Amino acid sequence: MHQHAETTLRDGTTISDLINHETREVKVRALSDPELYELEMERIFAKTWIFLGHETEIPNKGDFVTRDMGSDAVIVARDRDNEIHVSLNVCPHRAMRVQTHDAGNTNVHMCIYHGWAFKPNGDFIGAPIEKECMHGKMTPKEQLGLKKARVALYGGLIFATWNIDGPSLEEFFGDAKYYFDTLFLRTKGGLEVLGPPQRFRINANWKTACEQSAADGFHTLTLHRWLGEVGPYAKKPDAEGKGADLSPEMYGSEVWTDHGHALRCIELDRKIVRLTGKDPAELTPAEKLTVLPPPGITPAMVPELLERFDDGQLKLMSWRPPQVGGFFPNGLFEFIYLPQPDGTIIGACALHAYIPKGPDKLEFMNWIFAEKDTPPELKARMLRQSVQMLGTSGMVEMEDSDTWPHQTEVAKGAMSKTITMKYQALFENGAPEGWPGPGHVGDGFTKDDTQWAWWKYWHELMTSEK
Amino acid sequence: MEKNPLEPRPLPPSLRANRVPVGSPLYNDMVEFMYDEAELFDTLRLRDWIAMVAKDIEYTVPLRHTRATRDQDKSVVRTVQHMYDDYRSIMLRVMRVMDTRSAWGEDPPSRTKHMVSNIRVYRTDKEDEFKVHSYLLMTRNRFDHDKFDLIPCERHDVIRKTESGYQLARREVIIDQAVLGTPNLGIFL
Repeated sequence: MHQHAETTLRDGTTISDLINHETREVKVRALSDPELYELEMERIFAKTWIFLGHETEIPNKGDFVTRDMGSDAVIVARDRDNEIHVSLNVCPHRAMRVQTHDAGNTNVHMCIYHGWAFKPNGDFIGAPIEKECMHGKMTPKEQLGLKKARVALYGGLIFATWNIDGPSLEEFFGDAKYYFDTLFLRTKGGLEVLGPPQRFRINANWKTACEQSAADGFHTLTLHRWLGEVGPYAKKPDAEGKGADLSPEMYGSEVWTDHGHALRCIELDRKIVRLTGKDPAELTPAEKLTVLPPPGITPAMVPELLERFDDGQLKLMSWRPPQVGGFFPNGLFEFIYLPQPDGTIIGACALHAYIPKGPDKLEFMNWIFAEKDTPPELKARMLRQSVQMLGTSGMVEMEDSDTWPHQTEVAKGAMSKTITMKYQALFENGAPEGWPGPGHVGDGFTKDDTQWAWWKYWHELMTSEK
Repeated sequence: MEKNPLEPRPLPPSLRANRVPVGSPLYNDMVEFMYDEAELFDTLRLRDWIAMVAKDIEYTVPLRHTRATRDQDKSVVRTVQHMYDDYRSIMLRVMRVMDTRSAWGEDPPSRTKHMVSNIRVYRTDKEDEFKVHSYLLMTRNRFDHDKFDLIPCERHDVIRKTESGYQLARREVIIDQAVLGTPNLGIFL
């Protein structure tokens, strides 16, 4: 159990003063306060599991990429035994950045300042002129390695934490794991990245992106309204809804956990009706998955899904699959179904990480995935679609990246920071009948519970010690 | 080497022997194309610009990686890219901005200047297609920001001569940043 540690900010406000559990409000100040930022780096980013990339980015022994765990730079490297290690990218000699490249292959990470050298697992190899003992005789060589993080792989995704004795990644995922399995563990071959991540910086606090990632469904209706006007979801005259009304896309189930993970499980029934002309209730999960396979899966790959998942998960995947959601603190996943002009549907699979770069800046990283077994031609189409809709030039997400800076800036006003953000639209019913999965579940039109759970866990970590 | 299906079709080479002299009529045509295009971008006349775009265009903006000098061939990444467009997706971008009132990322629009320089023109294997290599410095400003987003890059284009004038048939834009300093590419480069 965490110990209570109520921190008082310089003007006497406590962190708990920023959040009203009864009325589900968060003071706007919380969005971009430099004092809070420093605490967040220590109490959240140095404590929880952080998503850093995928093992297919570094397939060969000696491969590495450089990444960030909150405000700390790290090296993610594969060693000679094929194990993946995450080490602080700071030389224990004079604090120079050891690895300055984005990616590469080496068995020796040598600091260019004084020549101290390290293995892919972070171990100290030595300093130049061994006999002169440049590293001294006071600290033994075993203690001169790069500081090592604790690493966990899940479906090839690389997570790391500085919390060496804390909960396992599985415990951290909690009830979300049941759902994540249907995204990340779908095939024996596993997922693969289609290339390195896109990276770009936005003048916004990391929380503006991340509280939205905790399954904010409502914003789609207005911020992404264009999608219903001319985009892939544009309404045909004979379709349900009118004009740019995206509200039919808002129904399904939402899932949240006590650790701030959130999933929007959006209903596929309307798409299935469009594709088959049949009542989805009369089709088996296997039939539905074959008509509308998950992103990156082809009908020929469906038998593998039937083998790997139980009836409950198959029901979920063919009825209300998780399509968008967040993993606390700074990750987002998208496994979405994009309608094509010819009536078919192409999937897109992407993960984002929003790296804090100061109270007013974040780095947006976007990885694009397919299954290893996805046929090459489909991979190529998924890649192009994903780039067109998500990330740097993504026609959907450019609205988001233009919104977060406004929130960050206005949150600084003397009056503005005293008003509150409201998360008061609550699910009034629990899981729908026959819902197969665990966790907190709401049924129907999107609500605020998922994002509220995100803030609750933020508060828990920010007021915890240990 | 077999083509990676994730990568776009390669551009024709820039061969010194195929250089079109600066100041020649063909060179001047290409310069005018570049200047006209810049003006259309900067005055939001995107429908007029579409008329200058070939139906089979590939429009790509590779990622950049910080790599060792000896690994510079790996510093341009053409699988995942910042932009990976074809005619249909370009049309969608234009319709989004021109035909809806909800393309908030560019409404109100950025104020931009596309400054094109260092233009070199090469003949290619195809008589009606020319490779054009240029530098582009784009300044972008939004809302009440006092600072500009700067996007310095080089463009490798294929311009095709058609009955209705010159058309952009291929563009690759190589940006000089591994991490972009602008919140999105909601604008054309």
